[in-house]
Amino acid sequence: MPSADPGAPRQPWPLRLGRTQQGDTLRLGLRNLYILPTGFGWSWLAGAVLLQVVGIQTQRNGPLLLSFLLLALMLLALHLTHFNLHGLEMRCEEARTGFADEPLLYPLLLRSRCPREAIRLQLEQGAPIEPQSLGAGCCLLGLPWRCNHRGQQQPGVVLIHTTAPLGLFVCWSRWRPPTPQVVIPARRSGPIGLVPPEPHPVAQGQQALERRDGSEHWHDLRPQRPQDSQTRLAWKALAQGRGRLSKVFRDTDGSPPLLAPAAGVPHEQALEHLSEAVWRLSERGEPFGLQLPGGSIAPAQGREHRDRCLLALALAP
Amino acid sequence: MPVMALPSRTVPWLAQAVLAAGCVGLNPTWLLGGFTLALVLVAALKLIEARDRAGRRLVALLQLVGCGLIAAQLPDLLPSLVQLLAAVLALAGLLQLESGQSLTWRVLLRRSVQVLAAALPMALVLFLLVPRLGPFGMGLGGLGSSASTGLSDSLDPGSIATLAHNQAPAARVAFSTNRPPPPEQRYWRVLVHPRFNGSRWDRDPQAETREAAAALPPPRDRQGDDQIWLVEPSRFTAVPWDGAARPTDANPRPAPTGELRLLRPALERRSYRLLEQAQPLDWQRQPPTRGDLSLPPRQNPRLLELGRSWATLPDPAARVEAAQAWFLAAGFRYDTRPGTLPQRDGLDAFLFEQQVGFCGHYASAFSALMRAAGVPSRVVSGYLGGTWVDPLGGASYLELRQSDAHAWSEVWLPGTGWQRVDPTSWARGAKATPSTRTAQQEAAAGALARGWRWLQRQWWGLDMAWSRWWLGFDRSSQDALLNWLLGAHRWAVGWLALAGVATALGAGLLLMLRTQGQTRDQRSRDVAALLHVLHHLKLDPEPGETLDSLAARAAQAYPTLAAALAELTACHAAWRYGPALSPEAERRFRRRWQLALEQVKRL
Repeated sequence: MPSADPGAPRQPWPLRLGRTQQGDTLRLGLRNLYILPTGFGWSWLAGAVLLQVVGIQTQRNGPLLLSFLLLALMLLALHLTHFNLHGLEMRCEEARTGFADEPLLYPLLLRSRCPREAIRLQLEQGAPIEPQSLGAGCCLLGLPWRCNHRGQQQPGVVLIHTTAPLGLFVCWSRWRPPTPQVVIPARRSGPIGLVPPEPHPVAQGQQALERRDGSEHWHDLRPQRPQDSQTRLAWKALAQGRGRLSKVFRDTDGSPPLLAPAAGVPHEQALEHLSEAVWRLSERGEPFGLQLPGGSIAPAQGREHRDRCLLALALAP
Repeated sequence: MPVMALPSRTVPWLAQAVLAAGCVGLNPTWLLGGFTLALVLVAALKLIEARDRAGRRLVALLQLVGCGLIAAQLPDLLPSLVQLLAAVLALAGLLQLESGQSLTWRVLLRRSVQVLAAALPMALVLFLLVPRLGPFGMGLGGLGSSASTGLSDSLDPGSIATLAHNQAPAARVAFSTNRPPPPEQRYWRVLVHPRFNGSRWDRDPQAETREAAAALPPPRDRQGDDQIWLVEPSRFTAVPWDGAARPTDANPRPAPTGELRLLRPALERRSYRLLEQAQPLDWQRQPPTRGDLSLPPRQNPRLLELGRSWATLPDPAARVEAAQAWFLAAGFRYDTRPGTLPQRDGLDAFLFEQQVGFCGHYASAFSALMRAAGVPSRVVSGYLGGTWVDPLGGASYLELRQSDAHAWSEVWLPGTGWQRVDPTSWARGAKATPSTRTAQQEAAAGALARGWRWLQRQWWGLDMAWSRWWLGFDRSSQDALLNWLLGAHRWAVGWLALAGVATALGAGLLLMLRTQGQTRDQRSRDVAALLHVLHHLKLDPEPGETLDSLAARAAQAYPTLAAALAELTACHAAWRYGPALSPEAERRFRRRWQLALEQVKRL
């Protein structure tokens, strides 16, 4: 369930109106766009009326023409503001996972045949992003939002609106993208359970094979930390311009821990503790395994392993 | 939450500075002038204070409204140019605010002009076709007394020893025929002085208010040769005219005394349009009152005696002729330095002893003589002559300066009504009319002054053209335009306006979309045309397929097209991904593309 971002400004009331569109893709058009004058638009109209009265009273052409010009600009802005969104296509992309209670980015692919200016996008419960000027073609944007529950979460309603070019009208649409975003339990330190690894014939054989590799063979790379020895530096990767990376070797000494929910701790809280432990161990480059009520993941290291564990935590029953 | 940065305040401050410059010349004592200055001040304070987008938007709106209010008070050419610049800058500030990105000056001004150009046709349609309303009540503003003119409420020539020559501009008038009236007809009446106390002629003290309500209605027929007047500020509601043309609107309108009255004093430069016509106006047939014959008893006894001697003549016109003969025989002399006349029986001293004076002396004495002779009479002050200016650019016009101020008499003759009599012309040396004097003074002026005067006249020529075509477009001009457009079908004006607005809106939107690139560019249209042709050959692009790949597939299916398709893809690659082409290379590639596309079409 998405939670309201405390930093998010209150939306203008018109944006809360209108039918929320459904579907994987939304092409903005007459059937799903709404437009109304802004407060500034009403002030503009009042200014035009004032000039009309002054023009009538003084019988001068200047204020009369300027009054009609303000009205004409308003009529023009009505269409230009609408055209600024009309024809724009939005599609939700596969979202990267993120942690609960931390900023998440929900990716949207915008496709446009023509340039557009000052497009504002936000999730209903999230903070708005900077007004976007889109060129012709495709553009991938991430909408910030927060969620305090793990699992596959819907980000809620996407608001797209614009007031360009003159700020006299606000044109908007509401869309509920169906693609969920996987949210990992929040990272909170706390007690976790450790399960001794059970010998398994196949696993034993594999482990024996890996042990044979010894420290001569590394199986992953991670960014180098100051405390890392120069001997572990991946020179080849450095030469290829991939930056300073350290080789990650399998630890053949001792058994890697198999993480499990701590006994006596509420299930969700235990998962949050595991989430923090998985992240911490992975950052340290230590191998670990994970055992959850629905299944277990054998001990290993590296980014893929970490992501697999975090995904398991997010989707755990 | 990301903070949406506001653009810099340079553009709004620039607009504010231009707006402030446009305020020069406003009259703060007038209600609208004071309000405008206050509005401009509020806009400046708000600009200092504004921290968010809404505040900055409000500043732009205040600046635009300020432009309109200044335009209501300073409609001349130069102030209008300043107002236009301020409006463009205010609009540029608004566009910059809403664009959400930093724009260069060039882009910003170009976009502002584009937006204005897109909206202007619509505004002009509304301006020309939406029927205008007359002012409610007495219009905006209040009375003031800061302005001055060469004319005065009262005419007491005996108290003036030397007539000063004020070269300040008084008025300008342009004629649609582009020809001024003959010199002997260039009498431009302003004030009528019917009250005489023995030495001084005064206007009716309540004339400014009482007679305005009884003013005559404007004419129904509003077409014909016209005059466009531009008058300098004055404390009077009465403005110059020839007494024969009819105003096209209710402001100004002729009063029964023959003055042409505005609804309020022209505290700023005013313009109005008059239609020339042959028939005499109603004021000329307005019967005299008893006041037009009144003379103070026991003053100027010799004048009374002389006038009464003509009263025996049966025909009032004969009495006028007798007076003319008497003036001519007496050998009066025109002089602008006649010295003062005695307080008591001053006109007697002028007529029978001094016999030297300027226009005020002659008009005053002759009018008094006519009253003594039983002919209703009064003194009229205004301007005589004027200088015909034919500038290099703009409209030709007749220039009136305060030194052209003149006074003459009007007598009531049964059958013909009020008739102008200028007794100054009977004096020797009277050929030195005000305009002649102006010309003499100009000749005597230095080269610098003459150069300045020349430049001033050139500018006034442009100003006059501006007044003729812009300020001169009033309700009557709109009526004439609608009559020309619709004739008897005036009911269709709403439909016409609607159609005009729709057309102008369409044109404006097309302009905006084209200039902002919201239509497909030429390259996209070319590719679309090629895809359309291939579609007829049952060749459609697959998802993710490039043009090169599609062309290769098409070449396999239709080997005869291979060369043409290769040419098309080469042109497209050069356009899309190659360096910028020179105009010549562009034309060459376009020709190649068209030839290749024709080959594909022919299959």
